[in-house]
Amino acid sequence: MESEWTANDGLAAVTGGRAWLARRLVAPCWYHPCLGVLAGGLVAVGEGRNGTLFAWAVVCYSIGCGVVMWVNQHRVGVSIRYFDRAMTSVFIAQVLCMALVAVAACWLEFTRGLHGAFLVAGLCEFMITVAFGHWSDRVLRQRIEALQS
Amino acid sequence: MIVARFDEVVHAPNRLKICAILSAVDTADFATVRDGLAVSDSVLSKHVALLQASGYVAVEKRFGGARRRTSLSLTSAGRRAFDEHVAALREITEGDARARK
Repeated sequence: MESEWTANDGLAAVTGGRAWLARRLVAPCWYHPCLGVLAGGLVAVGEGRNGTLFAWAVVCYSIGCGVVMWVNQHRVGVSIRYFDRAMTSVFIAQVLCMALVAVAACWLEFTRGLHGAFLVAGLCEFMITVAFGHWSDRVLRQRIEALQS
Repeated sequence: MIVARFDEVVHAPNRLKICAILSAVDTADFATVRDGLAVSDSVLSKHVALLQASGYVAVEKRFGGARRRTSLSLTSAGRRAFDEHVAALREITEGDARARK
């Protein structure tokens, strides 16, 4: 059977293997929302204006992110160099957006005395995390499928 | 520069798929590669053993939690053999396409 395996079949198998891997690397539907809830929750806790509560929220955020990432890593079952130039750009853009929202919330809440700013910012952080997460998935998938050998 | 070189060890369907998956990652779990090929553990073991004997695949066994996990990776020789084999396949298909014109 293997002797009838043509060059076209071989190239198709390579493409098929890479496409399967790209699909597997894409995060499941719960992944980005979970990270979004953690990030949003962390910022929304600022509404309480309680340092101890915020410190606990940071701890919960760190542990929660670790658990969610570990579960997904366990599901995927591969280790890969995640941050190339494109992924780094997406990541930096996400961090900048999230920082901007947090700073704006601090300014509105503490300087302008606008209550509820942290709650709205938390919702924004959730949406930013989910949107950038899906963008990262798309970039990673394109990278795997475009690999040339 | 990649030189086109047909490799009988790599060319078998399942072994080519194994190399295609491993070439895109640093390491992959045995179970992940098995899922990708949709074969049984024993079939994958047989192919991995052959690739390992040829120096193309490195196998690492470690204990993670209650179960032992086996991870696979392409060696530099394996990566080169795979790249050269795919280049050879491309040459063949491009040659066929030119011959048909």
